[in-house]
Amino acid sequence: MVTPHRVLVCHETPCVARGAVGLHAAFRREIDRLGLDHVSLEISGCHGHGLCSQGPSVVVEPSGFFYNGIQPPDAEVIVREHLSGGRPVQHLFHRDPVTGRTAARYADVDFFRRQRRVALRNCGRINPEKIEHYVDRGGYGALQLVLSTMRPEDVIELVEDSGLRGRGGAGFPTGRKWRFARRSSSDVKYVVCNADEGNPGAFTDRSVLEGDPHAVVEGMIIAGYAVGARRGYLYIRAEYPLAVRRVQKAIEDARDKGFLGSDLLGSGFSFDLEIKEGAGAFVCGEETALLASIQSRRGMPRPRPPFPTDVGLGGKPTVINNVKTLAFVPVIVDRGPGWFSSLGTPQSAGTAVFALTGNIRYSGLVEVPMGTPLAEIIDIGGGIPDGRKVKAVHTGGPAGGSLPADRLDAPVDYEALQELGSTMGSGGMLVLDEDACMVDVARFFMDFACSESCGQCAPCRLGTGQMVRILTRIATGRGAREDLVLLREVADTVKHASLCGLGQTCSNPVLATLEYFKEEYLAHIREGKCPLGVCEVRASVRPGEQGREFQPGGLPAGGVGANLKGGCP
Amino acid sequence: MTPVTFLLNGRRLTAQSDSTILQVARDNDVDIPTLCEHKPLTPHAACRICLVQEQSEGRLLAACATTVAQDMDISTDSDAVLRHRRMTVRLMLASHSASCMVCGKGNRCELRRIASDLGIGTAGLYRMRQPALTLDDNPFISRDPSKCILCGKCIRICQEVVVEEALGYLERGFSTRLATFTDGPLHQSECTFCGACVSACPTGALTEAHPAYGGTGDRTVTTTCPYCGSGCTVDVQVKGDTVVRAVPSDPERPLCVRGSYGLDFIHSPDRLHRPHVRRNGKLQPVGWPEALSFLAGELQQTLDKWGPEAVGVLGSPRGTNEDNYLLQRFARSVLGTNNIDNGSRLYGAPVRQGLMATLGVPETNPDPDHLARSEVILVVGADLPNSAPQLAYAVRRAVKLHGARLILLDPARSRLDRFASLRLRPYFGTDGVLLKSLAEVICREELFDREFITRRTEGFEQFRQAVSDLAPEQANQVTGVPARHITQAARQFAGARQAAVIFGRGITQQPMPSEAVKALANLSMLAAAVWIPGGGIYAVELEANGRGACQMGMLPDMLPGYDRLDHRGIRRGFEEVWGGPIPAERGMAALQMIQAAAEGQLKALYVVGENPFRSYPDPQLVREALDNLQLLVVHDLFFSETASCASVLLPAASFAEKDGTFSSADGRLNRLSRIMEPPGQSLSDWSIILRLAEEMQHPLPFSSLKDIQAEIAEILPELEPLPPPEGSRGERPTAVGSRWPSTRGIARFCIPRLPEVATPSEGYPFTLVVRGSPWGQGTGQRTGRSRQLRTFCSRGVVEVPHRAAGRLHLSEGETVKVVSEHGSLAVQVKLSYSLPDSVVALMAHRKEAPPAALFAFEADPDTGTPLMKTCHVRLERVRHHER
Repeated sequence: MVTPHRVLVCHETPCVARGAVGLHAAFRREIDRLGLDHVSLEISGCHGHGLCSQGPSVVVEPSGFFYNGIQPPDAEVIVREHLSGGRPVQHLFHRDPVTGRTAARYADVDFFRRQRRVALRNCGRINPEKIEHYVDRGGYGALQLVLSTMRPEDVIELVEDSGLRGRGGAGFPTGRKWRFARRSSSDVKYVVCNADEGNPGAFTDRSVLEGDPHAVVEGMIIAGYAVGARRGYLYIRAEYPLAVRRVQKAIEDARDKGFLGSDLLGSGFSFDLEIKEGAGAFVCGEETALLASIQSRRGMPRPRPPFPTDVGLGGKPTVINNVKTLAFVPVIVDRGPGWFSSLGTPQSAGTAVFALTGNIRYSGLVEVPMGTPLAEIIDIGGGIPDGRKVKAVHTGGPAGGSLPADRLDAPVDYEALQELGSTMGSGGMLVLDEDACMVDVARFFMDFACSESCGQCAPCRLGTGQMVRILTRIATGRGAREDLVLLREVADTVKHASLCGLGQTCSNPVLATLEYFKEEYLAHIREGKCPLGVCEVRASVRPGEQGREFQPGGLPAGGVGANLKGGCP
Repeated sequence: MTPVTFLLNGRRLTAQSDSTILQVARDNDVDIPTLCEHKPLTPHAACRICLVQEQSEGRLLAACATTVAQDMDISTDSDAVLRHRRMTVRLMLASHSASCMVCGKGNRCELRRIASDLGIGTAGLYRMRQPALTLDDNPFISRDPSKCILCGKCIRICQEVVVEEALGYLERGFSTRLATFTDGPLHQSECTFCGACVSACPTGALTEAHPAYGGTGDRTVTTTCPYCGSGCTVDVQVKGDTVVRAVPSDPERPLCVRGSYGLDFIHSPDRLHRPHVRRNGKLQPVGWPEALSFLAGELQQTLDKWGPEAVGVLGSPRGTNEDNYLLQRFARSVLGTNNIDNGSRLYGAPVRQGLMATLGVPETNPDPDHLARSEVILVVGADLPNSAPQLAYAVRRAVKLHGARLILLDPARSRLDRFASLRLRPYFGTDGVLLKSLAEVICREELFDREFITRRTEGFEQFRQAVSDLAPEQANQVTGVPARHITQAARQFAGARQAAVIFGRGITQQPMPSEAVKALANLSMLAAAVWIPGGGIYAVELEANGRGACQMGMLPDMLPGYDRLDHRGIRRGFEEVWGGPIPAERGMAALQMIQAAAEGQLKALYVVGENPFRSYPDPQLVREALDNLQLLVVHDLFFSETASCASVLLPAASFAEKDGTFSSADGRLNRLSRIMEPPGQSLSDWSIILRLAEEMQHPLPFSSLKDIQAEIAEILPELEPLPPPEGSRGERPTAVGSRWPSTRGIARFCIPRLPEVATPSEGYPFTLVVRGSPWGQGTGQRTGRSRQLRTFCSRGVVEVPHRAAGRLHLSEGETVKVVSEHGSLAVQVKLSYSLPDSVVALMAHRKEAPPAALFAFEADPDTGTPLMKTCHVRLERVRHHER
């Protein structure tokens, strides 16, 4: 008897972009042509491999042979040799770009071997569009356990005990948030999954939604049960069409299986989910703006308190959790709070998922226990190519800061990173080598914040504009030493006087670079140009940069009719 | 809500836990500057100027949005507060147009004041890009986005208070700016130029377009808007003798375009400055003594020769209570006639009659603010945005912010349509059938409140019997409204705990109007919604003092306070106060007087501020009638069409030039305050009448306005107290007329009769509707002389549905002859894409196309109200040589 094989072709966005759909078709054709009954062909989410820059990747189970970067003609070879002939195709195995070694099985790949996959536990191992795969791996077991044996208070206690904190960046204890919502007296409550992942360079939420949507769905149902909600919304950015499709499929399948709808599994508890697509505003990741957006209003934050756990959707108590936070919930129920808290540090339990990008060999998803030093993560990512040195690591996107090479011993931990002027953020980790200009990095993030501020409150809207203005002057060699004082003053006001989290954190890239890379700013000012030649390049390609000086008469430069469209001051 | 104790700048204070830090600070004379806080709006906390510091934790809090808590230690001027506040203002200045010297906001700019208070000179930052100028083309509001600090007040007031929803944010980030929906000019948006945004704008971003640099008034006078019956209190800023701007006194009650920008008619060059007397067929200016002695002589002569029945007096719903009181007293005691009426006859009489028959009161005065509590609001035949803006705001707020359901019952569309959850569009003239059918559903399905009906009403069983023959299916055949919509509306209305009814001219100017009013009262009784806040019956009051004129007895059959003329005892009471006999016979109503004049029975007519020539049907007949008179006396501001026929024309003071009171539709007594001296020799109506009475050797015992007010207070104590001092709205008096003998708090179901549905006669295929517009009011005597309203409103046009226009080969701007059975007029065509195919519309207030010409001189026999809302017409192309 021939061993059944399962071929998993990664169908996550990067692999799709690199030709996974054609590859899948080629496998189908070949398998059908040879009539291989023992082979099932599946798509998968991000393979759990995370080697997103090297795809498309294919895993052949049960042995876990790992082919990477293959093209449709290769499919013919793999089917003929490996699946039919039982001879794995050595020359198509994943080849480590650092060591040059080939790794036949993905368990052998350094990149994975050194990770601890919890949120990403199923990514790449199952077909995300098949609920049976999820159930086979224990999915919805947690839900059954909760509904049959636990009271809502028990669930909250369990989550509190696990030490789970919000993975959206702020790290608010999830159990406490649920307790607040539970305590709010209202007959109608909501659970919202914040999947408006807008940080440049972050794609962890997308990978979870595309690779393991049921984990999030299950997490939301448990959250709903815990706080007493009967309805939930997934706010997914419209730029993630594949995630939207997979989650939609997951919701429908879960409904068919009785995991969603009324009287779940005979428990008397009813819960259902709906997707709301975002419209491309970064600020809608801020929870009150997100709520406004779900309610078809302009996505603008409002002052807190009242917090959404008291006054949320339609004025009703609402719990808003990040995708990864919710994906952790079923595992925590399954394996117990003690197991989860044992993974991280005392303050920050569990694992952290990062989307590793920048000047690094492997761009992809890395999940490591909290407390892992930054340097180790870089190491997992294969280090910097071409023998250059790390200059800085930037976490947290526009809300975070860049830490210099001599601080890379810092552990990944909410408090530790905050103390250093950075933040965990929601999963972006940008590695910069010696060729990166830190003024340029600060300017990039400030430009982003300036375009993505909701425009409502004065310090954020105008302060980011002023900082872009100052940074542009410095970057283009027109800066003066006083500009640094001014920059710090403005950054300080934006940080302390802004209305919402976006404004309160968007100065961090500037403040952190001023702290750790002040010499670089001074060099720009001294030399009258960017010492690395990076800033000039970016400045010159920016459209509409010229002619923005103030002109007497109060009219904007460019005259009447020159509108603000397209960017910052 | 509990009292909490905390420290504010080191002072230990106690306040309720739901008060914001800003409120507490203001109450304790601690100044916290703010740019985005505005009284009626929800806290926005976006300008970040009002930040204060919580000392123990060091946190910065927005004072406007943070409530006080126990043991807080708040500092409003710590180093951090001042540092960040300064930087925020500096940032605003750095992106603000540097044209303070040529800014229409002048010294009223809040940003400039705060910057200067904080000691900020130049921003000390890099200049930042400003949005380009916005090209608006309207005479009301000018926008300069380069001065906008995005405090969002205008947007919020537009969205939350007036709910026009014209303004919003556009774009994001640094590029965020204030814009209309399509980023087009204001006049192509939903904007109605109510001016609420301008009155709230702290900087020069939104200013009055005209005069462009009006400057700061040297004084502000709080008075009452003279246009519709909403009775808005307005702060008029005056420089010298010129009104520079008008802003709402109460930020919660913004004005409309007429109140904000239409008060300049008082400066019209058309104003009369001197009395005129007709000599040799020509009106010639004379002095007061001459005019009055001539007039007294003529009046006396008429009385001597023809008796008091040959004299008639027409008062004005635009005159003050005092003017009207004195005028009717003059008519009754000096002239000895009850031929007294006022212009509200044209739309208001059916309200009085319908309500008397059902509720036993002549008027109801529910507060528009109570609509916030309504679950269902039924609007019938009322174009609220045009005729009663304040009610329109309240209705839209109720729908948008408080979740009320709006049911519209109107053949025509209005700007409320998009707020409605149900729109019933009966054919013209079939509202009565529809209302009856609604009652049928409520009775048949037993949706009424039985307890209320037993306790507070009578006549229910007969009524129930009478309406039982009109099921929605039958009603559908007559009205064209789908039966399920009728059922749905009935269920919603009767099912609501608070259901309000609002109706307007569409009801009161149709055939048998008082019957429709009764039908509405019946509905309200069925839903037990008559006397409760959030329920009630709102009759649209078109004129500023229509209520007051009637309350003051400017009626042929009622004495002041709606007291019965035919009751001897009551009459005797008045005779005692007035010191002379009062004629007992009920007099002629307005249209009857004109008719009598045409027939030669009425010899003299005393008209105060009315223009029958334009406001009554069949101008030709009116002209004949007026020409037929021996004596026509007119008080007016302008040379109106009627004034030009006068034998004696007396220049009257406008609302701005006199003191007095108006009674608004919601039952408030509002004060008019003199803003400036009357132009030339103009006098207020009451003082003209006093002088005339004296000249007629029959002096009235008053020497000042106070004397008149004292007598009114004696006769109508329920109108007391007189309005409180400046700045606030008038007190609500108990309903005038509550002492009417039949009032027992018991309502009576009336079996309404149905008018015959007028079928279009052969050759007149279109139904013509007379519409209001935001830019004009009444017959346009005043709005047509307001510079801004006049320049903005297009010429008189007839709106023709585009399909019909296509069939008739009519194009936009072409002159067409509108022909009814009774008259015709030539007017330009404007294509409409919203009118039903067989309906054309004319605006009431344009003098180029006065709709009166198309109507027959006929009045509803019960109420004397002319039927001037719809008629049947045809359109004739005007051949080239005729143009």
